[in-house]
Amino acid sequence: MQTESARMSSAAEARFRVQAPNSLPRAIAVIALDAAAADVVTRLATDGWRHTTFYTSTSAGALHDLAGAPRPLHDAVAAADLVVLVAGAGGLAHAAAEVGRACSDRRVTTTGFLVGAAAAPPREISKTLAQLRPWSLMVVIAETDEYIGDMMAALRA
Amino acid sequence: MLRKEQNDLLTLTGPGTPMGRMFRSYWLPALLADELPENDCAPVRVKLLSERLIAFRDSEGRYGLMDEFCAHRGVSLWFGRNEACGLRCSYHGWKYDVTGQCVEVPSEPEASGFAKKIRLRSYPLVERGGVLWTYMGEPAAPPPLPEWEFATVPRSQTFASKRWQESNWLQAMEGGIDSSHVSWLHRGDLDSDPLFKGARGNQYNLSDARPVFEVVESPGGLYIGARRNAEGGQYYWRITQWVMPSFTMIAPRGAHAVHGHFWIPIDDENCWAWSYDYHPVRDLTPAEIAAMRDGKGIHVRYVPGTFRPLANKDNDYLVDRAAQKAGRTFSGVEGIAMQDASLQESMGPIVDRTKENLVSTDNGIIMARHRLLRALKAFTDTGASPPGVDPAHQKVRSAAIVLPPDVPFTDGARDVLIARPAVAPASV
Repeated sequence: MQTESARMSSAAEARFRVQAPNSLPRAIAVIALDAAAADVVTRLATDGWRHTTFYTSTSAGALHDLAGAPRPLHDAVAAADLVVLVAGAGGLAHAAAEVGRACSDRRVTTTGFLVGAAAAPPREISKTLAQLRPWSLMVVIAETDEYIGDMMAALRA
Repeated sequence: MLRKEQNDLLTLTGPGTPMGRMFRSYWLPALLADELPENDCAPVRVKLLSERLIAFRDSEGRYGLMDEFCAHRGVSLWFGRNEACGLRCSYHGWKYDVTGQCVEVPSEPEASGFAKKIRLRSYPLVERGGVLWTYMGEPAAPPPLPEWEFATVPRSQTFASKRWQESNWLQAMEGGIDSSHVSWLHRGDLDSDPLFKGARGNQYNLSDARPVFEVVESPGGLYIGARRNAEGGQYYWRITQWVMPSFTMIAPRGAHAVHGHFWIPIDDENCWAWSYDYHPVRDLTPAEIAAMRDGKGIHVRYVPGTFRPLANKDNDYLVDRAAQKAGRTFSGVEGIAMQDASLQESMGPIVDRTKENLVSTDNGIIMARHRLLRALKAFTDTGASPPGVDPAHQKVRSAAIVLPPDVPFTDGARDVLIARPAVAPASV
């Protein structure tokens, strides 16, 4: 006689998996920390994400939506389940600490995303990593900026 | 999550499928050399990428891998007689050489040349590092032979095993790059397993159970760095290598051997989990080899006479609820390999990734899928050779290393992430 483990892991049993949705939409805030990142984020925003809000914060203390209107940082963070900090390799990412601190206060998960790293020298990457690392639970350095879109789709953005 | 069509694209590897064609660009581990221990030994059934094959070693030591079934009436050549430089079908005596060429049809006059018109599909089979490798792609364009360091060091420095895993290759492979599960599922093993215990790095693991991850693309795949706090404001890094399509090398611990895996599709619902241990500069000790044979570290104990793990789905993985309750194991299953395999098999033969809810720390998995899909598109659209075929992509090492806080690990560990003959691995 088959054990439960054998029977329940069969393809036939997979048909009986509960089909009801198993999650609620997650809200993601994507924040560009410098001009290079803002270009990437602006392009990304045109893809029609349902649960994502895009911002720029290219100097400490200022958060703007992509239309250029100022937005309170704490409201943006409070509304998010995940904050993605996007920075260009060699960019100063001045706002990383302030955004990161707001996320830390509210226990919001952060992902740091470094764009343009493929062509940047290690010293430039190092400079930006020093800003991002203290505030990122996960740091991603991809060859192509398109990865950020794939990552967001995978996270159900 | 993945859309269903993406999931199908990555998980289906039979003949004619896009991923199957891409897998066929690589030299793949097919058998342990010990499975064909001597000339004219018994043939061995092999199933790879949903193709039923037979492997044999002829009278002169040549290896052959070909269609399992005789071209005459479809009988399995597993019953064949391996004799005089060929495998002879037991039914009517048709005989094949290691290239699959039929060399004798006893019922037909030799002068008729009929035998020359019969040829079974065959693939090259070569020995490296105690493993028999095959290339199942276009015969005219085989890539260079595999250069993985574990397969090129002297045999006394390396050990490989394989186990049957009853799930699709991708969910098995994704477990190998899912660094965040280690602090949970395997937390009981670092201090007790003879192939791990005693390393200074273990203390960093145990004192900081919430590592921060960094994922960086490498020429052949990914570097997956897990960062923990070390003394003096520095970071302790454990850097895993993933090379396309399914090779991983886990960061070493202290002076222990370095280890990792290949996940090779048997068919769409089963795969071979290959596990290797090697040391770049020293022989493995008798105690280490004994531990590996006894299923310690990333290896398993077997159902005798098979490559099926002793703990398997037909005995509920020998789950020990008392050990789970007492904290000796986290899931109740003993041994790192079967802790992983039991959970991966429980997902079903091919997990439905449309229903998963990935989180930020799953970026290693997300990026691996991204790279596979990207390579698949380039391969399908333009015939571009996928990452991991180039031997330079295979000469890699994992590393455990302490670095200053602002250094990119790909820079600080640049030299130690490349395999260099006779140079010790970077390990803490």
